[in-house]
Amino acid sequence: MFSNFDFSVILNSWRYLFFDGMTFTLTLTALAALGGVVLGTLIAMMRLSGLPVLPQVAKAYVNFMRSLPLVLVIFWFYFLVPYIGQWLIGSERPIQVGAFSSSLITFTLFEAAYFSEIMRAGIQSIPKGQAAAASALGLTYWQAMGNVILPQAFRNMLPVLLTQTIVLFQDTSLVYVLSITDFLGAASKVAQRDGRLVEMYLFAAVVYFAVCFIASLLVRRLQRRVAIIR
Amino acid sequence: MNYNWNWGIFFDASPEGTGTYADMLLSGLIWTIVTALCAWVIAFAVGSVIGVLRTLPSRPAQAVGNAYVELFRNIPLLVQMFLWFFVLPELLPESWGTWLKQLPNAPFYTAVVCLGFFTASRVAEQVRAGIQALPRGQRMAGTALGLTTAQTYRYVLLPNAYRIILPPLTSEFLNNLKNTSVALTIGLLELTARARAMQEFSFQVFEAFTAATIIYIIINLLVVTAAGLIERRVAVPGR
Amino acid sequence: MTSSAMPPVSPAPEPQAAAAAAPASGPVGTLLSEPPPAAATGGPMITIDGVSKWYGDFQVLTNCTTAIRKGEVVVVCGPSGSGKSTLIKCVNALEPFQKGQITVDGTQIANKKTNLPKLRSRVGMVFQHFELFPHLSITDNLSLAQRKVLGRGRDEAEAKGLALLERVGLKAHAHKYPGQLSGGQQQRVAIARALAMNPIVMLFDEPTSALDPEMVGEVLDVMVELAREGMTMMVVTHEMGFARKVAHRVIFMDKGEIVEDAQKEDFFGSPRSERAQTFLSRILSH
Repeated sequence: MFSNFDFSVILNSWRYLFFDGMTFTLTLTALAALGGVVLGTLIAMMRLSGLPVLPQVAKAYVNFMRSLPLVLVIFWFYFLVPYIGQWLIGSERPIQVGAFSSSLITFTLFEAAYFSEIMRAGIQSIPKGQAAAASALGLTYWQAMGNVILPQAFRNMLPVLLTQTIVLFQDTSLVYVLSITDFLGAASKVAQRDGRLVEMYLFAAVVYFAVCFIASLLVRRLQRRVAIIR
Repeated sequence: MNYNWNWGIFFDASPEGTGTYADMLLSGLIWTIVTALCAWVIAFAVGSVIGVLRTLPSRPAQAVGNAYVELFRNIPLLVQMFLWFFVLPELLPESWGTWLKQLPNAPFYTAVVCLGFFTASRVAEQVRAGIQALPRGQRMAGTALGLTTAQTYRYVLLPNAYRIILPPLTSEFLNNLKNTSVALTIGLLELTARARAMQEFSFQVFEAFTAATIIYIIINLLVVTAAGLIERRVAVPGR
Repeated sequence: MTSSAMPPVSPAPEPQAAAAAAPASGPVGTLLSEPPPAAATGGPMITIDGVSKWYGDFQVLTNCTTAIRKGEVVVVCGPSGSGKSTLIKCVNALEPFQKGQITVDGTQIANKKTNLPKLRSRVGMVFQHFELFPHLSITDNLSLAQRKVLGRGRDEAEAKGLALLERVGLKAHAHKYPGQLSGGQQQRVAIARALAMNPIVMLFDEPTSALDPEMVGEVLDVMVELAREGMTMMVVTHEMGFARKVAHRVIFMDKGEIVEDAQKEDFFGSPRSERAQTFLSRILSH
């Protein structure tokens, strides 16, 4: 049934697909995951801080982000970021923000909501006695968090954080709606240019599947190792 | 921020000539809800079957269930959307493919089927987890009373498993609802698509997106409230 | 101690009999003075012939052979991990076994042609953790299998269930859910649920070992009465008081083997094997 399909289109375009497309996708994934985990951890700490207002703010942020479709959030930031930039540096007009920066800000802020829920569970999984012991030794809140609680929380939650990163990797394909050349965007552009939609989309599916499947196998292996050591 | 706010824009006629911008968003909302509900029917039915397969004492059944979940979880939803919409009609016999392509409302049917099967893999994961969370003895007790495997699932295991997984199923339902927006890429005129169109026609970016945002938040609150009611309704006394 | 919870169907047990059914009841001597139950003389109900079972490389049952006649009450005891629970689950094919044969009322259970659901519906089973269905009311717990397996109508099934609930002293709880009952009450419901299927034999898999001590007596009372009525019973338990009172035979298992299979008097009087002696002295010393 593939007789009238021309898979040479893949051979002719693989440099573009991987060097332009996949590089964008992977860079965006890595940076947004990093930023998302850092911001998410801060939000989780706010949520668990027991201070006035901060927990409510954190909770509102998380629930807000989790109520919205990622596509809508992508549109929001695409239009909003230039205005925020203008306001920040006090320029005359909305500033031009590149596609990459705009997507990076979007994914960092959006995924932070999801990462914060994971980190919250991670911090809560550490017995209360650990924090008490750290305080008893004279550590400040930040010292206790940085040296005692967070390292353990990260360790326990590493498999879940990585699984969420695989989800993030898949989610980055949605930058397609801004006509950005990520991996899917590149595949799509070649597909339209050469009229080879079937071949290109099947190939994109296979690549995404291979990457995610192998990554999730590795995460599962890691999970078993972490589980045994504990 | 020198942006010209105009909240009255919703009551201006949209250039489509079928009503105001508010009507446009409303029709988007209806498509979002209808698509989400139809997809959920598929997701719940298929997901339950796949989830059950993964808990049966049969290697081939488990393999089929696991393969399904891996396949649908490891390909981005957007790519799946393109596969159903652009690729499937080309792979079918020509007459079928043509029929599919000429189907009125093709984006709607495609979105329902695609989202249904995608969400099914996530429902399946929950159903499996719910069944495996039950004490092993429950299955044995059903079997020992002479119930067949199907009867044990129907009357003992599934009613209990669904109760356990009601909260995660609620969030899968909400994910499913939010994911309908991915179908704007194949031309489904759902809420986000309509907000985007309103922005393009009127240049009132933030009014359009604010309205869509508020609507999504309200739907979320309604669904969460409804799920709470259902949860209380089906709660088992003494647990 | 709990005899009041049991409305008599057959003649009520004597006061000290009821007391003796309690687990931590006094010295062994009072139990021995119990009148022996009627001897079982029926044909074979269960035959277990050379049964062996492995989990992977690990052998859990080794060449187990015994038989239980109609009307006979057999207690299976032994240290934990001795394979006694596995053996009783093999009898109604809840656990598969790789070697040997088991027949129940003449039907080979490992035979592929055997209709297992039908066979199991005639073999009552009571589990260590009760395994009532938590989402169903007590009434529905009792009628589910009657309706779905035996095809009884709702009214008939509920009437039968209610009669049995009355027998185990829980008629007033019919509308409740399992989570609202104590462990002892749940186990009595579980016994009633099994009886509702009109079983020809009852299997008990450590029916009292998940119970708080003060609830053991009420469950044993029901079992004693069942035994007195002539029900064929295979009971995995550590309750030696129960064994002395109503068992005809005691099977002692260790490391997957049937080490001793003796009439009750012989087993308690002079166990032949050293392992059974050690086990008995441990279990009876406190």
